[in-house]
Amino acid sequence: MTWWEVLVQQTINGLTRGAVFALIALGYTMVYGIIELINFAHGDVFMLGLFVSLAWFTLLGVTTTLTGWQLVTLLPLCFALTMLTTAALNVAIDRVAYRPLRRSTRLAPLITAIGVSFMLENVALLWKGPAPIAYPDVFPSFDILREWFGVDSAIFVTSKDLLVVGATLPLMLALHYFVTRTRWGKAMRATAQDRETAQAMGIDVERTILLTFFVGGALAGAAGLIQGMYYNIGQWWMGYQAGLRAFTAAVLGGIGNMAGAALGGLMIGFLSAWSDQYISARWTNAIVFSILILVLVFRPHGLMGERTPDKT
Amino acid sequence: MSPGARRALQGAALGAGLLVYPFLDRSLGLQTVHAVSDGMIYVLLALGLNIVVGYAGLLDLGYAAFFAIGAYTMGLLNSPVLGSPLYGYRWSFWVCIWLAAGVSAVLGVVIGAPTLRVRGDYLAIITLGFGEIIPVAIRNLGDITIDIGGWRPIVRLNLTGGENGVNPIGRPHLPGVPFETDPVPWYFLILVIGLASLWAMNRLRDSRLGRAWMAIREDETAADCTGVNPISTKLLAFALGASFSGFAGSVYAAKLQAITPGAFEFQVSIMLLCMVVLGGTGSLTGVILGGMLITLFDRVVLTETTSMVRSVGRATGIAALTAADLTLWRWFFFGLGLVLVMLLRPEGLAGRRARPLAAVADDTDDPAALEPAPRVETIPGWLRERAERGGVVPEAAPLLEVRGLTKRFGGVVALNEVDLVVPRGAVIGLIGPNGAGKTTFFNVVTGLIRPDGGRITFEGARLAGLRPNAIVARGIARTFQSIRLFPQMTVLDNVLVGEHCRLAATVAGAVLRPPAVIAEEARARARARELLAFVGLGGKADDAARNLPYGDQRRLEIARALATEPRLLLLDEPTAGMNPRETETLTELIGILRRELSLSVLLIEHDMAVVMGISDRITALDYGTRIAEGTPAEIKRHPRVIEAYLGAGYEQELAARTPAR
Repeated sequence: MTWWEVLVQQTINGLTRGAVFALIALGYTMVYGIIELINFAHGDVFMLGLFVSLAWFTLLGVTTTLTGWQLVTLLPLCFALTMLTTAALNVAIDRVAYRPLRRSTRLAPLITAIGVSFMLENVALLWKGPAPIAYPDVFPSFDILREWFGVDSAIFVTSKDLLVVGATLPLMLALHYFVTRTRWGKAMRATAQDRETAQAMGIDVERTILLTFFVGGALAGAAGLIQGMYYNIGQWWMGYQAGLRAFTAAVLGGIGNMAGAALGGLMIGFLSAWSDQYISARWTNAIVFSILILVLVFRPHGLMGERTPDKT
Repeated sequence: MSPGARRALQGAALGAGLLVYPFLDRSLGLQTVHAVSDGMIYVLLALGLNIVVGYAGLLDLGYAAFFAIGAYTMGLLNSPVLGSPLYGYRWSFWVCIWLAAGVSAVLGVVIGAPTLRVRGDYLAIITLGFGEIIPVAIRNLGDITIDIGGWRPIVRLNLTGGENGVNPIGRPHLPGVPFETDPVPWYFLILVIGLASLWAMNRLRDSRLGRAWMAIREDETAADCTGVNPISTKLLAFALGASFSGFAGSVYAAKLQAITPGAFEFQVSIMLLCMVVLGGTGSLTGVILGGMLITLFDRVVLTETTSMVRSVGRATGIAALTAADLTLWRWFFFGLGLVLVMLLRPEGLAGRRARPLAAVADDTDDPAALEPAPRVETIPGWLRERAERGGVVPEAAPLLEVRGLTKRFGGVVALNEVDLVVPRGAVIGLIGPNGAGKTTFFNVVTGLIRPDGGRITFEGARLAGLRPNAIVARGIARTFQSIRLFPQMTVLDNVLVGEHCRLAATVAGAVLRPPAVIAEEARARARARELLAFVGLGGKADDAARNLPYGDQRRLEIARALATEPRLLLLDEPTAGMNPRETETLTELIGILRRELSLSVLLIEHDMAVVMGISDRITALDYGTRIAEGTPAEIKRHPRVIEAYLGAGYEQELAARTPAR
């Protein structure tokens, strides 16, 4: 491969990675926007999304590559079931671990969030064991450039890359529509700006928070399913790593800002892919966290976030 | 038996128990000394984390990084094997532990200085990131190859031992003490270190620095406006916590003789956090208790329960029980523990539970005792002395001179070219409708907000760019419109925080307590008690500030401001929410301050009877602009003031009703 082929290939890798980070980052940023909590357990909801989607595939009897009408019916069904499961899980987490602490200090729910994160990881560990689990190759995999366009190139653009973009983009557009065009979305934006005023205007704040956790959980579930189909592998500890990278993405884009989270996710995706290639995969985590620290220190409102006064 | 004697007896029993334990263990053949010593190292770490989380209120999720740094400092300087330039020095253990603490403290400052400005939950994530970077760096620095297009300046350089860690690490040498073969000397070494740390922490907590940490934890802005520098105070807590961790890490490395990067992952930070949270943040006994419980749980309860469950399984023939391994659930239980403690008992096992307001009993005493009027005789002598010494500027010059002060928030002009002068010993009123910019004016003068234009001169010196705590040190103190005390601290400690900027004890001073520090602390406490007696809170010195009734909280805030030895006092609506009797007492107090102590007062007040009664001159603001300035009598008649308060048209109406003369 020539140097530019490597660069293009890594950029495509970065795009697919970044799409998954963006989906997770949206959940962080929405929850932070509405209750100012770093939902530490969110990355683990993503990880469980992968595990749960595998369970749904198994229940639906899918163990090999889907084809034809099965692909267009079973795959969306599994998306829906997985997203519902993780959404319900996320709502349950909020009810049990965060809601009783709404009026407490800011650090109290953050500490319970860490506790929940540990519990979820351990549940996954005990469920599937410490070894990486194999995720069946349910989505047909082929090289688009060669199969569809007849281009013989060292660069691979696979059908799975297309799947990632094809699944992520509609989800983000739907979310955008939901938040900007619907009553519920309006309630969410109002609650994020000023909870008390929103309450005074007759918005059921608790239900809006529930909705936020529901949507965030659903997106994390979708991300888990996409991750599983793309990489065909899952580990109990992957939620912690992916969660931290996605949180970095949310901070980079400006926490509380949804477009920023999507953009930040893509940027972290590109950065980690390039870092894997040009520096060393061993250093990628350190590089991502250095970016996180630098952004928080020098531009805490992120690339797209507004400078807002501290609500405490 | 007196409580003192009982405590002494308890202490003696505990001490005897600690001394006898390892020998008892040996004679009974229990072989638990190793595990107990390891547990004590973790307790030591938790105590260090408690300074950061419990006292200063900074959630540190990367605390294990400093543990790693300490351990690797020991490992790199004291390991005889590896061949890279950094290895093979075999420095003495006794030197390395101090170096390790020093290196960790320096790194704590390096990490803390730029990051401690950010908000609490962001800081938590930054420390988490740091905690992730350190093990990654340690792993990767064990095998460095730099390859830039075929040019390889460094090939397979091993700085840290990589994934394999450092092994073996030399043990301490003391003539005649078998550190190499026997766990008992280790037990005593760690015990001595632990007790010394506890002793030092106890003294730190009860010092000027401990109070500053807690003040920052309770209310950073209020602490800043009471003369505590938040940045340096937090940095000190962070660095001290780091040095403790480094110290413990170096001992840990030498005791284990081998270290690998895996021993310093995120989970270790969380386990330490569990110890602090479970025991009770900020409580030394609590943290020790939490540390012991968690170590016990981790090392004994899980394994013992597992073998119990298995034997039950074998007896009943249930295969699932026979194969059960509860140690796999370890992190699940830690997570569950964090959640349950925060939900059910957020103050921890040994933390003080918040006392309900009803517990304050002495509300029903006779009303005279409830509202003791401030008396001239009770003015603390030291305040009087200070007042007589006066300032450095000739009497004629104004104390505070504000010229052309401007502040814009986006498109809103909150202050527009405001002028205001406070002469020495005067009471100046600042009035205006809600939103006129009065509190913004206070915030700019006290340094909380930077002005967009204008000049503030205090005693002839410009105040531009000074932090709030530096302005307090210059002699301007304030109270807040919505009371901002340090609610969990005692009434006495609240006032003592006020004296912070007038005290000088350093870390070494606070721990070693030379005569000068003892005298300073005694004097500070005496002064604080005098101040409390003066404002009428003499009997409530040891109550928690948040348990005080409303009027008392207002007066405590004034006492705290007076403790900073101000020459100018800014009072933001001091009588808001007070009943007429309390208002009267407060007005009297302000009068005494001015008459007897020639203290200048700048007063925001909505109660016109109060402000007209005690002010020498009044400035009126409306929409950020000064609309009038003059004596109370002039202000009362000033048409623009009347218009601002009652609306335009009132004058015409008034004129229409009054027949022309």
